[in-house]
Amino acid sequence: MVSPGSETKIDSSLAIATDALCKVYSGPFGRRKVTALNGLSIQVQQGEIYGLLGPNGAGKTTLLKLLLGIVSPTSGSASLFGKSVSLASARWGVGFLPENHRFPPFLTAMQTLVVYGRLAGLEKMTIHEKAPSLLDQVGLRQWSDARLKEFSKGMMQRLGIAQALMNNPALLFLDEPTDGVDPIGRRQIRDLLVSLKDTGMTIFLNSHLLSEVELVCTRVGILHRGKLVKTGSVDDLTRASGRYQIQIAENQKSELTELFPDLHFANRSDETWIQFDAADASELNLQIDRLRNSGIQILSIVPQVQTLESRFMEIIGDIDDSPGGIPRFEKRTEDVESTDKASGS
Amino acid sequence: MKQFSATILLTFRELWAMRITQGIFVVTTIAWLLLTFALNLDVIEGSIAALRIFGFEATPTEAIRDAVTGELLRDAETGNVLREALSLDQFVLGMNQMVFGASYLFGTLLGLFATMPLVNGFVEQGRIDLMLSKPVSRAKLLTGHIAGVWAIVAMLVTYLVVAIWLVISFKTRLWLPHYLRSIAIIVIMFGVMYSIVLAIGVWMRSTGLGLVTAYGCIFFSGILAAKDQIVPQLTDFTAAIFVGLYHIVPNYIEVISIVAQLGSNESVNSWYPLVSSVVFGATVYGISYVIFLRKDY
Repeated sequence: MVSPGSETKIDSSLAIATDALCKVYSGPFGRRKVTALNGLSIQVQQGEIYGLLGPNGAGKTTLLKLLLGIVSPTSGSASLFGKSVSLASARWGVGFLPENHRFPPFLTAMQTLVVYGRLAGLEKMTIHEKAPSLLDQVGLRQWSDARLKEFSKGMMQRLGIAQALMNNPALLFLDEPTDGVDPIGRRQIRDLLVSLKDTGMTIFLNSHLLSEVELVCTRVGILHRGKLVKTGSVDDLTRASGRYQIQIAENQKSELTELFPDLHFANRSDETWIQFDAADASELNLQIDRLRNSGIQILSIVPQVQTLESRFMEIIGDIDDSPGGIPRFEKRTEDVESTDKASGS
Repeated sequence: MKQFSATILLTFRELWAMRITQGIFVVTTIAWLLLTFALNLDVIEGSIAALRIFGFEATPTEAIRDAVTGELLRDAETGNVLREALSLDQFVLGMNQMVFGASYLFGTLLGLFATMPLVNGFVEQGRIDLMLSKPVSRAKLLTGHIAGVWAIVAMLVTYLVVAIWLVISFKTRLWLPHYLRSIAIIVIMFGVMYSIVLAIGVWMRSTGLGLVTAYGCIFFSGILAAKDQIVPQLTDFTAAIFVGLYHIVPNYIEVISIVAQLGSNESVNSWYPLVSSVVFGATVYGISYVIFLRKDY
């Protein structure tokens, strides 16, 4: 069920819970206040892969940093497995891959896992048992003794993921995990995330790559200007909104235009597709009957399913088009849902 | 403890990976090797009969003073000051004072310069957030960092001072371990000055500014050390400010006299310069902790 950002109470059965979380960054002497998060309430169940989407500056990284105690909230509260994020102990069993992480370049891949494994509270023996298999898992086994200054961006990213998995976390935070990774590496990371999901690990994923989120995540939240404007499963967000396209025979185009001037051609190159909205199956059948009774031959009927990307653009676009919204340079040509409906208010 | 030792280990590895640290180690090694092979002493009845260094020979002497009045004794005919062969004690004293004075400056100034990038690395975006995401308190992280820096500087200074002390002791057959007390003073004063670099580093992420401020304090402490000569020249108001600053700013230059007195096995006239410097350092470390515990990274 798609729902707007709604109030959440702290619950220990949840992997992540925030309640009316606000973060305002202030410049020197309290000038230039920037609201990064504005009353955000979010909950992530244990075992979910939750994808957080949003344009630049939406507050995604700030939310991650708040959940990990890297920044402190201006107001509101947040917890991991029921423990307040202000406690260091809340981060036991948590893995994190920051965006643009910088591992010390003088370390080798193995030393990096040792240092960060120790910081995560692991015993040396456990680290030495686990590190080789993790490096293998991210395709860096043969680089285990190489210094990080020799690593490419993609290799660093994969090492970052290995580091985040060192303590076998119950909750994994990933901020742009495929940033700088080539398509093959991206596919490997995606497969890794799916396999981790099968282990019952909760994953919180920040990503700009909507196709990646669509393929991996079970639930998605869209953050915009510090507010959660939409949340729901990927299926819910991309579900057909009652729009259909029907392909007719090429030689019946002019006939169709004469008989049904109210029908629109779909925005396709071959111009044999018409598009219409039907609230339910009976309305759809009524339209088909209309065409068939007039001798129009139907070649195919395709229900229109939105991609996460188009849905995302639609939601963000609606808000930016609303009074007080940020003007966009490109207007959508498709019809637009009302802002109220999109934001759920 | 695992996390604490990991922070120390990381600091150690980082400092060791830096060329300047390796450079300090190499220069120190060269210094004591040169001293070992280039310095030769001929000791006769407790005095230096001859000294050879890099093939140059010299007969170090010292002026003879009247045992009662302390005045210099002169030749009745020529009027020249009478001199005798330098005693071994005097030679060792002079060498040690030189070594400890140099070690104080070398250990603190170069130590600050070498460790400055560590604060940068510690609070660097992409690194600090990863460390803070671990189940370890911020206080423990910062303490581990400070302990790592102190430990490696203590090791470098100890290596420098002990190696040279050993060479001199072997050469002179005089084993005077009390000279080594100065190591503690050198490390403490490094720690005091490092507090400035750390505080500015965690606050503004600018260790360059921290280093300039620390060196500025060192320069300023030289002026403040002349308090007794300068204050009488000032008005009451400016004198009060000057004296106030004297008590606040670490007395880096005045501590050199404590190092020298310890080196010559004399009793220390006043520990105040060291004590006030330590109070300053402790306060600034406290401020660093408060900033680090509260700051958003």
